[in-house]
Amino acid sequence: MVVKLRLARLSKRHQPFYNIVVAKDRSARDSKPMEVLGTFNPVPQTPLASQFQPTQDKKFKDIQLDITRTKYWLGVGAQPSEGVQGILGMLGLWEAKPGTMAARGSVGGAARMGGEKEAQIEGWEREREREREQEKEMERDAVV
Amino acid sequence: MAPRTPSSISLLTSSPSVFTHCSSCLKKEFSSSQAPQTRLRRQMFAWLEGPGESLRYPLPNSTNYLSAYDKRGKLLREGEDTPESREDLRPFPLNQHFISESILSEDLRQEIWRRVQVEKKSVRTVSVELGVEMRRVGAVVRLVELEKRQRAEGKPTAIPYARAIHQMVPTTPFEPGKITPHEPINDLPVHPLTDQQVFYPTSESRAFNRTDAGRVFSGAPRLPDSQDVAQGGNPVEPWRNIKPEKVGRFQNETDVLKPADARIPHPHLVAFEKDRSDPDLRRKEEEIKARYNQRLLDDAESRARARQEKIDRDEKRKTRVETSRWQFVVTDVSMSSQATGKDGRGAKAPGMRYGVPHEDRKKGQIKIPTRVEV
Repeated sequence: MVVKLRLARLSKRHQPFYNIVVAKDRSARDSKPMEVLGTFNPVPQTPLASQFQPTQDKKFKDIQLDITRTKYWLGVGAQPSEGVQGILGMLGLWEAKPGTMAARGSVGGAARMGGEKEAQIEGWEREREREREQEKEMERDAVV
Repeated sequence: MAPRTPSSISLLTSSPSVFTHCSSCLKKEFSSSQAPQTRLRRQMFAWLEGPGESLRYPLPNSTNYLSAYDKRGKLLREGEDTPESREDLRPFPLNQHFISESILSEDLRQEIWRRVQVEKKSVRTVSVELGVEMRRVGAVVRLVELEKRQRAEGKPTAIPYARAIHQMVPTTPFEPGKITPHEPINDLPVHPLTDQQVFYPTSESRAFNRTDAGRVFSGAPRLPDSQDVAQGGNPVEPWRNIKPEKVGRFQNETDVLKPADARIPHPHLVAFEKDRSDPDLRRKEEEIKARYNQRLLDDAESRARARQEKIDRDEKRKTRVETSRWQFVVTDVSMSSQATGKDGRGAKAPGMRYGVPHEDRKKGQIKIPTRVEV
């Protein structure tokens, strides 16, 4: 049976909160999993301003994850669900789907590079254009 | 024979009676003259017109408590301008032990705020300088900031009310040349751990001091000889002893009770006092002062360093991913068996627990938060 990394919604009505779990594919969503890897709170939290940390207007979504155990489970072939793929994509542990939040925010940990991210993406786009132009030239040469 | 009418009709017609025309007859008010006064009421008016007359227009800058006047309503102290003594500050004549304590005057509040926010002095320093407890210094700074913000926003403030209250209660003044201490600043509340009586057998030759007692109370092992002053060791100085020490099993850790010298709000003052009584430092006021200031600086630095280290340590475990709408914060946590416990129900591990019932609807569950994070 396939072992999956997926989200289990154990919280009450109107209060979404998920456990990130390792469970057998066929088991019920909220049943006792093989292992709990962490949590995901989808409700955006307002950051606390302190004397030492200035106010941040941007809200954050809190994810807690045991990265070592996650890497282990991925290593032995556990399949992440779509939701967990998004989270792992942000950490660079899984290839992010194009167009998703993870891909925009971080591909392979690009977010950790900070401001370099946009430059990198631009670089990729330039490379791709160059490749296309080269292909066109080759086609033209072939025609000639 | 007159026609009979049903009894219900006779009730509807209003014939003059006690019930319709004399309600006062039913209320025991048989006389229209003024009611005779009770004894207590008579005494009250006698007092208001007699000794109480002097309190009708209260003296300015005085609390005007009853204890300041004699039975005939004469002011006990010599003149109206003489300052109030401690005897005058007892508002309840039958409770001689209650003395009204002073509150901070407006000048003192503003001075505290200025020293902390403008001169950028530490709360600890300002507390020692002005004789105001550290917690109160913090509260004053927050309140004055709030007041300033409200003014800036054009919100109304209850200044006349505050002024009226300040005239009625004793206040601690602020004069630049002469500092009046507001309250004792180095008080130590009784720690609940010390309530118990402990029978602790130890050898008669051992010098058992307050550090050892604190360790016994909190069930911590004995200090190594290198740190035990009784064994010729070199202990940490109380003012430097700010690092918390934990004892107990994982998830059931408690702080080791430090000696009172380290737990008081201003352990530096003890070191300062020791320096002053040191015969080697006699008539070296400058050096004593410099030492004291250096200790304060060292303390502030080490605290700031510890705080920064903690922030860095926490930040190191986090990956922040920016998206257009919000930030995703992924914290690397440990879900090891140590955190979740052997049965997987450890309360310290993150996430909802399995096999543990929600008892929030159970009778007697307290839902009031015990702390507020701001």
